Amino acid sequence: MTPELQQVHAIFLVEAEEQLATLERELLALERSPGPEVLRAVFRTVHTFKGGAASVGHPEAAELAHTLEDLLTLVETRAVVLHAGLGSLLLQAVDALRERVGLSATGDSTLSLPAAEVQDLLANLVKAARPVGGAPLERAPEPPAPTEPESPAAPEQAPEHTLRVGLSRLDRMLDLTGEIAIARGRLATMLSQAHRYTPQQLLEAHHEGDRLHLDLQELVMKVRMVPIGRTLQPFARAVRDLALRLEKQVRWEVSGEDVEVDTTVAELLRDPLTHLVRNAVDHGLETPERRRARGKAPTGTLSVRAFHEAGTLVIQVADDGAGLDRERILSRARAVGLLGAEAPSDDDTLLRLILEPGFSTAAHVTELSGRGVGLDVVKRNVEALRGTLQVESTPGQGTTFHLRLPLTLSIIEGFSVAVGNETYVIPLEHVHECVELPDAERQPGRTGMIQLRGTALPYLRLREHFGLGGGPPARESLVVIGQGRGQAGLAVDALLGQGQTVIKPLGTFCQGLPGLSGSTLLGDGRVALILDVPALLQQTVKSPNPAASA
Amino acid sequence: MSDPIEEPSAAATQYLSFQLAAQEYALGILRVKEIIEYDTVTPVPGAPPWVRGVFNLRGSVVPVVDLTVKLHLPPATLTRRSCIVVVEAHRAGETIVLGLLADAIGQVLDLGPEDVLRPPSFGTPVHADYLLGLGRLATDARFVLLLDIDRVLNAQEIALALAAPPASGERG
Repeated sequence: MTPELQQVHAIFLVEAEEQLATLERELLALERSPGPEVLRAVFRTVHTFKGGAASVGHPEAAELAHTLEDLLTLVETRAVVLHAGLGSLLLQAVDALRERVGLSATGDSTLSLPAAEVQDLLANLVKAARPVGGAPLERAPEPPAPTEPESPAAPEQAPEHTLRVGLSRLDRMLDLTGEIAIARGRLATMLSQAHRYTPQQLLEAHHEGDRLHLDLQELVMKVRMVPIGRTLQPFARAVRDLALRLEKQVRWEVSGEDVEVDTTVAELLRDPLTHLVRNAVDHGLETPERRRARGKAPTGTLSVRAFHEAGTLVIQVADDGAGLDRERILSRARAVGLLGAEAPSDDDTLLRLILEPGFSTAAHVTELSGRGVGLDVVKRNVEALRGTLQVESTPGQGTTFHLRLPLTLSIIEGFSVAVGNETYVIPLEHVHECVELPDAERQPGRTGMIQLRGTALPYLRLREHFGLGGGPPARESLVVIGQGRGQAGLAVDALLGQGQTVIKPLGTFCQGLPGLSGSTLLGDGRVALILDVPALLQQTVKSPNPAASA
Repeated sequence: MSDPIEEPSAAATQYLSFQLAAQEYALGILRVKEIIEYDTVTPVPGAPPWVRGVFNLRGSVVPVVDLTVKLHLPPATLTRRSCIVVVEAHRAGETIVLGLLADAIGQVLDLGPEDVLRPPSFGTPVHADYLLGLGRLATDARFVLLLDIDRVLNAQEIALALAAPPASGERG
């Protein structure tokens, strides 16, 4: 393939992915409420796809789309009735189309058929049900056949992640960069003749550029924001297929599809959501008989709600199924020694237990409440996104998972502290308060314990923990950090205050080090490290306490 | 090892030389991106001992590798002539940008294939595996050690992995 053709093909793939996702959504809608409007929309989408596939050299995909159109014509003329089986076949046809153009399927892989088989099934159906009277739907003229069929093989590389941006937003960005250039030029001129201006005037000129830059930054962040609906959409299909296979009835409800989130966050959310949704259908929701026996409607509801709250994204995955089986979880936890006999059994504890990686090994999944497959993966992913996971469960009424995530991954609000010559940044959301380290604790040592309003607070001296060397200052401060219910102190030399922190990855050699989550650049050009609070909390709790023995 | 000297070293004719523990080393010039003055480097707790820290290279956070630690040479002393050679290296299939701490920068050397000798199996300050060859300077009959930076970075990984076996039995 020539580079030009490759480019055309890449554009086609992006469009095809969107078209097929739309088609899937429309087919699901058609299944729920068949009507001429929806059917027409389906036709339009298939037709557009067919044209595109034929013009970039995917004759087999075009052929399949053509047969699909024939079948849809039969549905329109009511020569064929749309039942669940046909619905599945139509959705499988979407997967087959994906296969033909080299995209990966979104449906349940155990249900999917090879594209050739789907093609045969469709063709047979069309042949079997010849329309008797009604004229077939009028078709637009066929797109011109490709002059020279290029190899329709799967693309060599994964399609690049792209984002569509409104031209007006790009125009505004260009405007802003222009204005910044002018402001910078003005400042440079003023600085070259600095003696003619007061520092006040120079600062003023600098602030002008600053404001423009902040506008640009905000705009760029906005451009990266995408509606969460695009991430949630494939789940409609997954839920349908899974419910069909498990012989359950599930109503899939989504709200807050318009809620915007950074494209990277949206991307990384897919995995945890897949696990939560599958778990809910597989283990949370009961079979129709069981639900009837419990006096519930036979159709269960699985709803996903997305909304913004206090600068974070909240996603709730709720089912009205059986709920977590407390007794079984607790007895299992006691059996494997995760829990003492008298331990409390609130939802947080249950969640902590079911998120334990070893807790849900395959043999116990079905006996336990069933929650657990892949839940440790959910936890890991959510933590990687710097988010939190909570669960609420009422026996017999259902389970709700709450995911709370930052809107963006690239900028956080940080709290800076100093140790010796080094500056460290703590994500502000984990900073609870700052106190002065009491004089009695001034002896050196990596860890210690103080009393904070009557409760014992273990702390970690950052200087010694990181092996920075140098003596402690006259006064040490303690930053109280916490996540969930865990709390600990970090002893540092000085508190520098809060500010916006642009996160930079640490690179190959320094990645994944305990206690560090990344780095950022300081105003003077130096690099400051960002602390990983959950890891530090764990290290504080785990380390022996030399202060107690001293 | 008795492999013939690798293709790239025979093809590349320009090298950048630098001082390290009173010895002259050189790197293929195509690998060198820039040379900058040694400035503040932020130490990274928990990083391998041969990573001196990270620094800000026009907005990217780049690690600085101390070759004297990595190659078991006498430790480097920072002077006014100390600098960082920013290079591109290949490691585990990816290209990474990193800084090499050098005592001083030498010069750009033109070496034809006939000027590059196979390194002797002993007698050099660093292991022959880490060298592309010995560069013979026609002008003053000196030798420079032509460093194979990719091998230096990758070989140490093996030693580290042996020193600290990964935590076992996460899944029981």
